[in-house]
Amino acid sequence: MGGAAPSTDAPAADAAPAEDAAPAEDAAPADDAAAADSAASGDKFYIYSWNTEVQERLAYVFEANPGMEERIEYVNIGDSAIYQERIDQLLQAPDAADYPDMIAFEAAYIMKYTNSDQTLAVTDLGITDADLAEMYPYTIDVATDKRNGTLKGLSWQACPGAFMYRTDLAESLLGVKTPEEMQAKISTWDDFVATAHEIKDKSGDATRILSSNGDIAEVFRSNMENPWVDANGVFRMDPIMEQYMELCKTFEQEDLTQKTTTWSDEWNAGPSTDAVFGYFGCTWFLHWTIKANCGGSAVGEGTYGLWNMCQGPMPYYWGGTWLGATAGCSDTALAGQIMKSLCCDTEIMTKMSSETLDYVNNKTAMQTLSDEGKGAYDFLGGQDFIAVFSPLADNVDVSFMSAYDKTIGDLLGTQNTEYSLGNKDKETAIADFKAAVAEAYPSLTIE
Amino acid sequence: MAKSNSKKHKTVEYGRYGYYFIAPFFIVFAIFQLWPLIYTLGLAFCENYTDTMWNVEVGPTFNGLENFTTIFVGSDGSLFDTYTFRALGNTLIMWLMNFLPQILLALLLAVWFTDTRVKIKAQGAYKILVFMPNIITAATISVLFYKLFDYPNGPINQFLVNAGIWDKPYQFLNTKWATRSIISFINFWMWYGNTMIVLTAGVLGISPSLFEAARVDGATSWQIFKSVTLPLLRPILLFSLVNSAIGGLQMFDIPKLLTTSGYGDPDYTTRTMTMYIRELAFSGARQMGKASAVSLVLFVVTLFFSLVLFYIMRDKDAIREKKAIKAAEKARKGAN
Repeated sequence: MGGAAPSTDAPAADAAPAEDAAPAEDAAPADDAAAADSAASGDKFYIYSWNTEVQERLAYVFEANPGMEERIEYVNIGDSAIYQERIDQLLQAPDAADYPDMIAFEAAYIMKYTNSDQTLAVTDLGITDADLAEMYPYTIDVATDKRNGTLKGLSWQACPGAFMYRTDLAESLLGVKTPEEMQAKISTWDDFVATAHEIKDKSGDATRILSSNGDIAEVFRSNMENPWVDANGVFRMDPIMEQYMELCKTFEQEDLTQKTTTWSDEWNAGPSTDAVFGYFGCTWFLHWTIKANCGGSAVGEGTYGLWNMCQGPMPYYWGGTWLGATAGCSDTALAGQIMKSLCCDTEIMTKMSSETLDYVNNKTAMQTLSDEGKGAYDFLGGQDFIAVFSPLADNVDVSFMSAYDKTIGDLLGTQNTEYSLGNKDKETAIADFKAAVAEAYPSLTIE
Repeated sequence: MAKSNSKKHKTVEYGRYGYYFIAPFFIVFAIFQLWPLIYTLGLAFCENYTDTMWNVEVGPTFNGLENFTTIFVGSDGSLFDTYTFRALGNTLIMWLMNFLPQILLALLLAVWFTDTRVKIKAQGAYKILVFMPNIITAATISVLFYKLFDYPNGPINQFLVNAGIWDKPYQFLNTKWATRSIISFINFWMWYGNTMIVLTAGVLGISPSLFEAARVDGATSWQIFKSVTLPLLRPILLFSLVNSAIGGLQMFDIPKLLTTSGYGDPDYTTRTMTMYIRELAFSGARQMGKASAVSLVLFVVTLFFSLVLFYIMRDKDAIREKKAIKAAEKARKGAN
């Protein structure tokens, strides 16, 4: 944490001079807003999200800032599928009592909001460059307004991904004992498919390498060289997505996955049974999905302790949650304070990580925990998850992201299912996919 | 004349209170129905969407018939080969698939339940059972069926495989006609009870003496049904038909919730008009202009079907009678 200068009740005005000269004019209107806000500070401060994750993390902020909790009204929309729609509606009514002051964003659509005037620059909230020093650079890139380079949102977590697999099944089916040996078995997609066959054959069809085709979607998405839509509004299909379609078809036709649907009940049940060998997952996925569904909460129960991680065929990154203040935020100082505590305060973040094992967006915090040996995780049979994720987090490249990712990903999913089931050939599926994109976004140029 | 005028002045005018009492309806109607209708009409001729890249709203600016062009002409220039008409086709197919069996079964049950000769025991219990699916919310039923037909290990698939009927699980919800059939079945199963109640009320409204007279004359059950029940049931039948056509063309909840992605899987073959309008207006580029235009198309189609039904179900005898009276009057005038 960059010193005590911006104390808890520092208004935005204090922070502005610390910035470079450029954002001075940006900061000016915020000063007025902050002044006007202080009068209305008795009002509730609305934070919107789609699940309880942010709420649970906010507990650490409240602990560090006594008295803050009473002001906060946390609204859990409860369904990420309708979250954007709901937020868009709420943002259209700035005078409404429940107008959001802060919103949580997922990686798949954060750019839609940060590239618009609906969110405030973090400098307006009293966040300085010094506060950002410990963050992984990609978390800043993602939330930067592409129009003028101002940073609009902050995240407290970093989400590099890995392949998480069952150590007991690896040993009995493949004779693999260490993550390094496992990595050698799946270092390319060809190896991955060969290993998938081996698992299927040796287990007598009882185990599959993955649960669903959807499990590799994020891996390929974050390996696209160019975003779906470039800055000029031109849509291009990255060649790697064709490889993705081919691979899905191979999995489907050669019966290499459990053929479930991602996030369905059966898919969620996978980690507690021997039906699934592994998942592609990231930092939060390890805790929220695999551990939560492993059927136990201590070594010896369910599959707890029988997991390991290795990088898999491609390095990748998946998701994460950012927080941003809205244009009509009623108390920018409070928003800044929340962000500072949650996303910049090394002390709070170290505590948060050691208790929740979330991989926090703070290099010093992760280094401290790793040095203290806190990374050895009994769920992973003692493997140091920080040591696995740290080199991956440093190298995350988010140039593949655009504001269109969620919708375009869904549209591709529909055609990919048709192709992998053999209902359409590849040319038709791709043509139909492009037609669907053109339909959803008439202003794009389709290539 | 003068007399009647003075009388009018003496009576207390209560009529205006009537207007006060019905005013709330018209005020609410004007704000929440009429104005949106007019606004939709206007938007249909405007370019109005959100540029996702910067999340800014474009328009509404007048762009003539451009929205309608994209609705009627496909990207390759062929007429009607568009998402809109595919959605309309899906809607009509799934409506017919549920409506035809629904009206036939409802009619049959209505006649049985009202027939004084076929005395069904425990009628009330049957009626409740038949009506029951209508009480459960569509969301619940959709989720129930989604779980039942789950792949690869849903109960239906497990049963079919374990019983040896099929050797491997079937992708019900990834197959066009299977998904459409399931959606149609749910709609049929949910609504035949409701239609039956309406038709029963209609049959009970027919004077019992007509049935008795027919029976005394030695008519068979079929003859009674064909020549007494059906013609006299016509207004109620028309009501059911139009009601069902309007409801069917606006089909939304079941296909939306039953399919995995909510986009009308597989490959948009179960995407109905209202699902499509919703997607246009609230997802992707939020194309309010085009969504309004598609809404207008849906309105015209609904109007067309209603008029066709009115025409088919018109009272031919009454029209013939009217014509005969007119002709007779003409003849009389001519004679004079």
